[in-house]
Amino acid sequence: MLLAIPNRLEINKCSISFPGVKALDNVNFHLKSGECHALVGENGAGKSTLCKIIYGVYHHYTGEIRLEGQKVFIRDPHHAQKLGISAVHQELQLIPEMNGYENIFLGRYKKRTSLISWPMIRKQAEEILNFLGCYIDLGIPVKKLRTAEKQIVQLARALSLNARIIILDELTSVLQEKDIKNVFRIINLLKDQNISIIYISHRLDEVFQVCDRYTVLCDGRVMQTGFVNQVSKEELIRLMIGRDLKTIFPPLNDPMQEVSIEVRNLSSKAFSNVTFVARKGEVVGIAGLIGAGKTEFVNALFGSYRCSGLISIKGREVKIRSPYRAVRLGLGLVPDERRILGLVATASVKKNITLPSLREFRRGIFIDRRAEEGAVKKLVNLLKIDCYSPEQIVQSMSGGNQQKVVFAKWLLSKADVLLLDEPTRGIDVGAKAEIYKIINQLSKEGKTVILVSPELEELIGLCHRVYVMFEGKIIAEVDKDNKQPEILIKHILGESRNESQNQTFKYI
Amino acid sequence: MMSFFSHIKELTIFYILIVLFTIFSIFVPNFFSFDNIVSILRQVSAFTVIAFGEFFVIVSGGFDLSIGSTIGFVGIVVASLIKIVGLNFWFAMFMALMVCLLIGLFNGTLVVWGTIPPFIATLATMVIVRGINFLISNGIPISGFPESFGYLGRGYIGLIPVPVVMMAITSFVCYLFMEHTETGRCIYAVGGNEEATRLSGVNVAKIKVLVYVLSSFFAGVGAIMIASRIMAGQPTVGDNMLFDVVTAVVLGGTALSGGKGNILGVISGAIILGMVANAMVLLRIGTYWQWIIKGIILAIVVLIDSKTKERG
Repeated sequence: MLLAIPNRLEINKCSISFPGVKALDNVNFHLKSGECHALVGENGAGKSTLCKIIYGVYHHYTGEIRLEGQKVFIRDPHHAQKLGISAVHQELQLIPEMNGYENIFLGRYKKRTSLISWPMIRKQAEEILNFLGCYIDLGIPVKKLRTAEKQIVQLARALSLNARIIILDELTSVLQEKDIKNVFRIINLLKDQNISIIYISHRLDEVFQVCDRYTVLCDGRVMQTGFVNQVSKEELIRLMIGRDLKTIFPPLNDPMQEVSIEVRNLSSKAFSNVTFVARKGEVVGIAGLIGAGKTEFVNALFGSYRCSGLISIKGREVKIRSPYRAVRLGLGLVPDERRILGLVATASVKKNITLPSLREFRRGIFIDRRAEEGAVKKLVNLLKIDCYSPEQIVQSMSGGNQQKVVFAKWLLSKADVLLLDEPTRGIDVGAKAEIYKIINQLSKEGKTVILVSPELEELIGLCHRVYVMFEGKIIAEVDKDNKQPEILIKHILGESRNESQNQTFKYI
Repeated sequence: MMSFFSHIKELTIFYILIVLFTIFSIFVPNFFSFDNIVSILRQVSAFTVIAFGEFFVIVSGGFDLSIGSTIGFVGIVVASLIKIVGLNFWFAMFMALMVCLLIGLFNGTLVVWGTIPPFIATLATMVIVRGINFLISNGIPISGFPESFGYLGRGYIGLIPVPVVMMAITSFVCYLFMEHTETGRCIYAVGGNEEATRLSGVNVAKIKVLVYVLSSFFAGVGAIMIASRIMAGQPTVGDNMLFDVVTAVVLGGTALSGGKGNILGVISGAIILGMVANAMVLLRIGTYWQWIIKGIILAIVVLIDSKTKERG
């Protein structure tokens, strides 16, 4: 029946590349009027890239977009909104200090003569909220609203724009059960109004509850499109993983017995009661969805996220209250946002690499430039950093090379425990393989590597053990023998918790 | 092309200095003479020393509005310690510089622990310092230093004025500090990316406090040079100085967003301002016109700064 309904949005043969990465490869995606269409896939599979194309953020794609049969070029998000496409993100795009009315009508205040007419605005906003069946105080600054309420405000904004297509990007990942129910109720209301919804979620249960059709993306390709009621959860999971482990990982080294870092009952706002151990020469993975607390956890170890609990390094209990302290204890962090957190973009390769270890190059009060240059050159050669000289400004280098510079920092500082937060994000395949080699080499030298990664392939190929975090807790520890994608992804999605508890804890 | 442009930019100001110098030498009567050149250098000497302090703060990504009132205040402190308390002038100078360190520490504390934006924090300090200054001085200059005190501002070593020698020594020390020490390197890094620097294990708070302390300290040194030249503590002497200082620092290629710039640029920027002022006096251009021209120079320079950043 649904097949007879015309396509509201058609994306045909769409490909897009970023330096070194093909993010979407010949993707076809059809969205029908009044349907809720689930877009599923692992992190980095291309879901958000596809949405950004639809929302007018990226333009350098090939292929075509048709809206109601008409070929369109979407210039920017503003244009997308005019065409009836709106997006509601998990990260909220509201102005916190403004109230609900102002946020809903931001930039489009109803005017009578040249003054803003608040009664008209209030009336229209309340009509929308009535339609949604939600009662929110729109008169207070939105920062005082709960997350779920903020999302409703965003949704109201979309409706006030007469949206015909609404992208819901991982809305529910930060919501509680009853708010999720409310979202489902609203989705059905929208469908009744013949509004199409693109639904992105990591929670497969939700897909079955609320969506009509699904499209599975994997490595930028569409694996399958179909009706939700004709597919099983297991099938979806299999499609999401979708490939053989094709990258060749170097063979794992044998870790030593000696424990290098141990954590007991570490708690913070983002995670609770994390207990964790890593040995010398061991690569320990941390898996989990966005918002599971992985980044916060490694930052807590590095002293840049407030936490409580016990941390001991080489058997000695330590307090790590700042990165300054962490570095002196032999820790190193490769952060997830390379450009924002990892590098001083305006400085040279040399100045970046030696920043954590300047002390080592001090002769009297001055820096021994010759020694510094020598050490940097050695690292540039060792890691094959592609730069014309150590004086090159890192801003102008490729992502992979920049990441190598970040690694070089910690190789030089002789860090014993390396915290790697998504170290291969946004870098090309070749550079990835080299990063893998570096990680392997580090473990061979007896260093401990803690690897946070959204890619199963990496976790399986590189790690001796993997801890899985879900909603701030470690819910599973998967060892070498159980490191299979199916098992890991079940834990990551929290599916294992729904099954019998016994089975979950088999891996702990 | 871009890298060519940005590379050139680092040295541009030095070339502009040479070109302007040549032009003025040819077209401005009486400009090219030993006496005039020495007099330009003497005029910019105190000012350059003060600019180094502001340079450190701007490179670290901050801003110090309080130096103007610090300059006036230091003159008054030195003068009143000598005239009223009757201290030896060396000791008076030492005390005044200690006061500067306190002012800088206050700024740094507000910015780092108070997490107050530098503009606001140093604005508060500026007003407070001016208030104390006028409490002590009632806004009236204090004069009557011992003759020997004038050596710092008026004396000569051979043919070179003492302040010029002081400027040269300070320049060299600041150059070594910024380019060859760990702390200098960290100041650049903090201005380039504070968060990344913190995550590299650098004690960012310490660096940020330090730059404000240095800024006040250099303002104090400059203020003493000025007081020695005019032989008086003049409470309002620094009031219009902030503008010239920032112009010189920015003119020298220092990015207002932090992380970029060098000492040679600041010196060049300061000398250019001095040369332009001098040339305008020689050409008998009125003071009001001088302001307009200086303002235009600043606007052009900041424009160049923001345009190159957009493309970079």
